Order: sequence, then structure tokens, then C-alpha cells
Amino acid sequence: MLKLIASRLVLVVPQLLIVGFLVFSLIYLVPGSAAAMILGDAANPEDIARIEAELGLDRPFAEQVVNWFAAAVQGDLGQSYLSNRPVTDLILERLPATLSLVGGGLLVAMLIGVSLGILAGTHSRRPVDRGVTAFTSLMQSMPEFWVGIILVLIFVIQLGWFPVVAWTPPDADPGKWLRGLVLPAIALGAGACALIARQTRTAIAEALASKYADTLTAAGVPRSKIIFKYALKNAMIPVLAASALAVGILFGTSLVMERVFAFPGLGTLLLSSVISKDFPVVQGAALVVCVIVIGVNLVVDIAYGLLNPRARPQ
Amino acid sequence: MTLRPEPKTSAVAVAKKADGPQSGARRVLKRLSRKPLAIIAALWILFIAFCALNADWLAPYDPLLNNFTPEGILQGPNPAHWLGTDENGRDTLSRLLYGARVALMVGFGSVLVAMVIGVPIGLVLGYRGGWADRIGTRFVDIIDALPGMLVAFAVIAILGRGLPSVMLGIGLIFCMNFARMARAITLAERSKLYVDAARVSGIREIAILFRQVLPNLAGPLVIQGAILTGAAIIIESALSFLGIGLESSVPSWGGLLGAAVRQQLVQPFFAFPPGITILLTVLAFNILGDAISEALAGDSRKRVKRIKRRAVADPSVALTAAATHASRISGVPTEGPADPDHVLEVRGLGVSLYGPGAPVPLVRDVWLGIKKGEVVGLLGESGSGKSMLARSILGLLPPGIGVTTGSILLDGREIAGARERDLRDVRGRKLAAVFQDPMAALSPVHTVGTQLTEVLHAHFKLSRGAARARAAELLDRVGVSNAAKRLNDYPHQFSGGMAQRVAIAMALAANPDLVIADEATSALDVTTQAQVLDLLLDLRDEFGMGILLITHDLGVVAEACDRAVVMYAGEIVETADVTDLFDRPRHPYTAALLASNPNAESESKRLAVIPGRVPLAGQWPDGCHFANRCPFAVEACTAGSVPLIDDVRCIRVDELRLEKVAP
Repeated sequence: MLKLIASRLVLVVPQLLIVGFLVFSLIYLVPGSAAAMILGDAANPEDIARIEAELGLDRPFAEQVVNWFAAAVQGDLGQSYLSNRPVTDLILERLPATLSLVGGGLLVAMLIGVSLGILAGTHSRRPVDRGVTAFTSLMQSMPEFWVGIILVLIFVIQLGWFPVVAWTPPDADPGKWLRGLVLPAIALGAGACALIARQTRTAIAEALASKYADTLTAAGVPRSKIIFKYALKNAMIPVLAASALAVGILFGTSLVMERVFAFPGLGTLLLSSVISKDFPVVQGAALVVCVIVIGVNLVVDIAYGLLNPRARPQ
Repeated sequence: MTLRPEPKTSAVAVAKKADGPQSGARRVLKRLSRKPLAIIAALWILFIAFCALNADWLAPYDPLLNNFTPEGILQGPNPAHWLGTDENGRDTLSRLLYGARVALMVGFGSVLVAMVIGVPIGLVLGYRGGWADRIGTRFVDIIDALPGMLVAFAVIAILGRGLPSVMLGIGLIFCMNFARMARAITLAERSKLYVDAARVSGIREIAILFRQVLPNLAGPLVIQGAILTGAAIIIESALSFLGIGLESSVPSWGGLLGAAVRQQLVQPFFAFPPGITILLTVLAFNILGDAISEALAGDSRKRVKRIKRRAVADPSVALTAAATHASRISGVPTEGPADPDHVLEVRGLGVSLYGPGAPVPLVRDVWLGIKKGEVVGLLGESGSGKSMLARSILGLLPPGIGVTTGSILLDGREIAGARERDLRDVRGRKLAAVFQDPMAALSPVHTVGTQLTEVLHAHFKLSRGAARARAAELLDRVGVSNAAKRLNDYPHQFSGGMAQRVAIAMALAANPDLVIADEATSALDVTTQAQVLDLLLDLRDEFGMGILLITHDLGVVAEACDRAVVMYAGEIVETADVTDLFDRPRHPYTAALLASNPNAESESKRLAVIPGRVPLAGQWPDGCHFANRCPFAVEACTAGSVPLIDDVRCIRVDELRLEKVAP
């Protein structure tokens, strides 16, 4: 177990370094001077020099890289130009909303996706299977934020079942937090559930057509046991991989979904920073999202090792 | 003809036949034209493209024309503005039509950008191989795990909004898809001989890459391109919805949705036209991509007809069809109740594949009787239908294959076409099976103990502890040492022979009357094979169950079986006591089979080979199935179907004196 975790952790280090470097170099990719772009057309040379000094752009590149990493590891992601507040604080304020949204979306995607996948996989090539496939194709073709818009129109504006302000911090009122999360989570999970459903369908159908399913069937083990105990556990290995992929997608989509439900998360923060060229915030938020995604992948990798005895280091 | 351990080929694959060589775009187009959904999707995309190209004269208004009068803004659908107007009084229909331009431009443009960036990366990685490939692939994986939207945000933050940054941003999200695809195909092509030959002849490497690999890449590129074009349209609409895509004055579908959200309390209708247009367009690209992929693969996911299980209550009903064959076999009554000595009786069994055309028979007119404690060998080459026969007895026929005629009586009870619920009482307790590949026959992610106790729990009311104790006893009985401890091991921790012992323990857990061993020893090495066979015979002596031993190995039959049944092309051609079969084969196929056995010392001291091949299901001749390969065939042999009479299916059985072969 410890060996397994250690072996996976080793792989994560270069991943973090590469992502960190990419995020760091964002500001160097700006055509011309980043400082000039931040200040706009009316900038005078003194201001540009001042901003460059502030950003550390006047120092040697290698020194900048090292400084940036050293600061980032200590949780210092710089200062926002716009609000002059530490980027870390800004992000920490926004993180609960984003994590709630993505967590809820993942839960919905897994629940619906795995259920639909089992349904289709156990009825392989039959009308139920084709129906599920048609449904998932439809879900995959819908922009998730549009699903969100339609859900708001129906359940908030027409029926009034859910509050207009979706976000409540969980520490303020857990009940309200959960209630507000229902629609955003469904809208967010709808697209990703198609991915998981398709993966589950294939994996379950394969498991049921396998020789071990034949052996268990021939030995008189009931089909429900074979489906829910044996096929499902075998299928979970590819399904987990798909879920890890889904987390990346969910984070991306949540950035847009926040706008639909007026969630005060990283997405709205990123959006305003992109528009106002507030680079430290863009870098910080991007880094945090990437690190979370890498972290989730690490957890999935470890779970994969636990599920699949052959993947454990001997 | 020599018999080799065969990988199990499914009869479905055999009967479906190969589709012939793939040839070019025309064939794919022809296949596509037979898919109505694909045609509708293509028409919709053409329609959107038409709207985009002709927006100038199709649009009733200038999409940028403001009308700030109170009657002008935020109208619902009306005769002047079919889809209403937005908060600036601009005509929604016109903006939707112009929005098609942006959608298609960004869709195609960003996929093109992704291809231009990704394909060369993949080509280089795949062609170079080695450490460059390993590092590069790892890098591709890392980038691909990041949320795509973030990449687009970053590009727009750096370059500002507008068409080029949106296309570049989306292109960067997708390029790793193309890189991965190009790498995989290059890797596959590189290992093929002709690229090596080209390298020797000194053509420059780049030229090799493009000439040899790109044609193979074309199909997957088109499929992936179509699907990603749809995805790009979604991302573009999301960016425009957020107001960081194209300039806000440019009409786009996402921008219309942004306006719809701002006005959702006033005009909820606004969300529908752009949303449904996006949905249909993306769906069309997805359907087209899937259809092209299916057309290229030649319809791999065929529909299978669902076979209604025959309701069998009265064995005599099932028998009427079988009785017409005039076949019979000694000891097996053609009708009425089963012989009480028989554990299993098969009477006139027919099994067919139900595909798009007429049903294809896979097994026909099979007669079989197995007594308690008797070991019967079922001999035959691949394609003889012996595994189909085993699966039909076990009720494990693959989808699309079903029992068409005849009767399977287990302890006198009809199980042919029985329902799943009725089979559950039979499986394990009366009938069990051991399959060929022991590693595949056990679930890799469950311990051996879990699987063994599962079978015990299915049949007996046992506590967890009692079940484990019984499982350990069983493992010990089949010769797994240190049994109690090994219950916690996973199948991959067992050797092939030991895993097969576990499978045998599972089969014997509920003390069945009949065990079907389908090539149960074929995958094992010779020493292990003999040990497992000995174990089966020991267990037979101890528990008295009958065994149907399916094999292609004459040695196994000679060593272990009391009687043997020989199958050829879906039919039983001969059945006899083992000594009789080896001493006096009566069917020419049996004689040929014995003569071709490399272990046997045939009198001619030469390994005989049967000319020709076993005919595939669906291509069986009208008369004797073996006639075209039989040295003794006469005209009468092909005249009509040959019944199984006096345990042999040969019309010349009384005239022929076949060579004696010692086992």
C-alpha cells in the first residue's frame, strides 16, 4: 500500500514541475512586453520599467523561475494588480464554490453514468442499449452551460423550486448549500455522464462476455451477483480512468457553469482576470486548478492499484 | 492435417465471413449512403454551411442594426422578427444565420490548427520511438489531463480576444488528440516491413513518413476531425457566452445565449433557438463521425436478432422435429423419457446463428448419451462445432445463437432453451464446466477464495467461516498445497495448472452429476496436462460424476475416456467405445483423424494429412459434410443428407474396411 502510493507519487513530481513551468512562462508568451500590455496603450516607459521590476521581469530568467517556484511552494502566488490582494487569498475565497460544483458534478456524472452503463452493458446490442447510446450521444452534443440555462428557466424561473441565488457557503447553511447545488451539479454532470456511461457499458458488456463470467454462471452463481459483484469490479478499472478524465473536463466546464448560476468560484475570478489582464491571478488560478486535477489523477491512480491486484508493485 | 491446440474461434466470426478488402473512399461513401441518420446529419451540416455562406441575402435584417425603441427591443417571435429581437433591437434570426459563419469557421479552423500542430508531433514521436517517444508521450498525457477550457483562457489572456486566439486556443486543446492518434498509427506502420524497405532504399525520412503513413492516417483523422469540430463549436459558444470569445459585436451562437441569460426573466424563449441550433449541429458532427468510423470498419457493431427461448415443457414436442432425421444412436431413445442410466441425453440437437440473413446452422442432428461415472470424449477440429455443443448444453450460447431443434435431457429433465431461472437450479448442482484458459476463467480482481466461496454460497446455506473452511477443503482436494492460505491469493499468483485446479474446485463445489471439460487441459504444458487429467479421473472415481471431455487430442481420449464421439463440420460422424474407435474406425474421417495423429504409429509410418479444410458453417455441402475430402467418396455421398445410423454417419460404412491405427 505504502509502496504503491510512493511509486505513484514519484510520477507526479515531474508532472507538477512541467505544469508549474508552463504556468510560469505564460507571461513570457505575451507578444511584446507584458508590462506594456497590462498598462495599455497610454503607458510611459517609466511605468513599464516599474511594472517589469515588480514582476521581476528584469532579472535573469533562471533566477525568476527558481524564485517563482520557491514562492509558489510556500503558497505565495503574488499580488493581484486589480485588487492588490494576495492571489492565494483570492483563490482560497473562491475554492469552496468551485470544489462544491465540481464535486457535485462528478457525483451526478458517476451515479447516472455508471447506472446507465450497467443498464446498457447488461442489455448489450438490445433496444435498451441503443436507447442509452442515443441518450448519451444527445447529452454529449449539448453544451453543458445551455443545459444549465434551461434548468434555470424551468426549475427556478417557471416553477420556483430552487432559489435564484444558487450559492450558499456550506458553513453558513448546509441545507441551503446542498439545495442550491442540485441544479448546477446536474447540469455539469450531464455531459460527463455520457463519457462514463459509454465506458461502463463497454466494460460491463466485455466482463459479462468473459470466460470468468461463464465459469461463475456454469457453477450456478446468480446473474445479479455476477453483474454487481464480478463484472462491476472488473469494469471499475476502465471506468475509474474515464472518471479521472472527467474531472479535468468538469473543472473546465465548471468555469463556464459558474456564470450561469452566478457561482462565486474560480471561473468568475479567472474570467475577470483574463479580461483585465491580471496575470498573477490568471497564473495562480490556473496553477491551483492544474494541481487539483493532478491530485485527483493521483488518487485515481492509487485506487486503480488497489482495485487491480496486477498493477500493484510486487 | 494435424490438430493443434486451437484458440477458440467463435462461430459467429466464422459464419459472418470477412467483408473483403477495404477499398477507398467510394466504398465508404456507399456504406454511408445506406445510413439514414448519417444522411440527415450530413444534410443538416450542409444546411448550416449554406446559411453561413449565404447569410448576406438569407438574413432578413442587418445583424448589427440596432433599434433602441421600446417596441424594437426584446420582442418575442412575431411576423416581422420570426425569432424576436435582442436588448439592442437586433434581429435574432439574422444573428443566428450569421452566427453559423463563426461556428463553422471556428469549428473547422481550430480542428485544422490542432491537426497542423498535433499530427507532426505524433509522426515524429512515433517514427523516432525510444526515449524521445517515451518522454514526448508522457508530456502529451500531462497536457491532455489539464482542463481544456483553462488552455483557451490562457491563450485569450495572452493574445486578447478575437477569431485567431479562439482558434489557436481550441486548436491547442485538441492537438494532443491528433498527436496521440498520429503516433499510434506511425508506430504501427513503422513496424511494417515496407517502411523499413523504403528506409534502406534511401528515401528521405520525412518523405517516408508522409508517403506511407498519411494514407493510413486519413480515415481516423476524418473521424476525429468531425467529432472535434462539434466539440470546438461547443467551446466557442462557451467562450462567446462568457464574453471572451469573439468581439461582442460579431454575431455568434454563444453570444446569443449570453444575451438570453441576461434577459431570461423577460424573454425565456431566447435560450432555445441558439441552444437547439448548437445541439443539432454538434449532434450532426458526432453522428457523421461515428457513421464514418462504422463505414470504415465495415459495420462492426451488427445488430443481433434476439432469439425467443423456446418454451419447453413437454420433451415430446421438441422431439417431433428431431425425429424426422431418421438418425439414432445406440442406447439413446428417440422419444419418450430418458434412459434412467443416462445423466445426459442429447437428441437430434440443432444450433443456429441468427444473423441478418437466413439462420446459419452451426450444429445439427447431434445425438449423445452419457452415463453416470462415464467419461466421454468429444473429438473434433476447430470449427467442428464441439464447443457450440458444449455451450448449448450449458445454456451459455452467445447472443444471436440458439437451439433450433432437438432436446437436451439432464437427469431426464429438458434443459434445451430453458429459462435462466430454471437453469440456475441445474448449474453447479447437476451440471458444471471447466474451460480452456484457466487464467481467463477466473476473475482477475477477486481472490480465489472469494470466487470459490461464491459458488458455495450460491448452493448451500453456509456461514462465512464454514464456507471458507469448505473452500479450503476443496482446494486441498484438487491438490493445491497450503490451501487455506492460498484462498487469499489472486489468480495471477497461481500457475496455469494450479489455476485450472481452482477452476475444477469451483466446478465440483456443489457436487454435480456431469462435468463438461471444454479443452480443459489444452492450454497447459504436457506434464501439467497429465496431472490435471489424472485429477479429473480421480474425482470421477470419488464422486461418480459423468464427464464430457471436449478435446482435439487423441492421446487424451485414448488415456482417459470410456467412449468417444467424433464431430465434423457440425455433425457427429461416429461414436464408439474408445478401444473400438482406435482399433476399428468406421467413418473415413475418424480413420483420417487417427492416421494424422503425430503420436500414433500408423502402419505406413508416415504422418497422413487430410487434404482440404473443414467447411465453414454456412458453407456445408448438401450431402455428407466430409465427402469433398474423403478418399472413398462416391456420387451418392453428395446426393442428400446422411443420417446417423448404427452410430456412424456414412452411407458406405458396410463396404469400407478402414485401416487400423494403434493409439
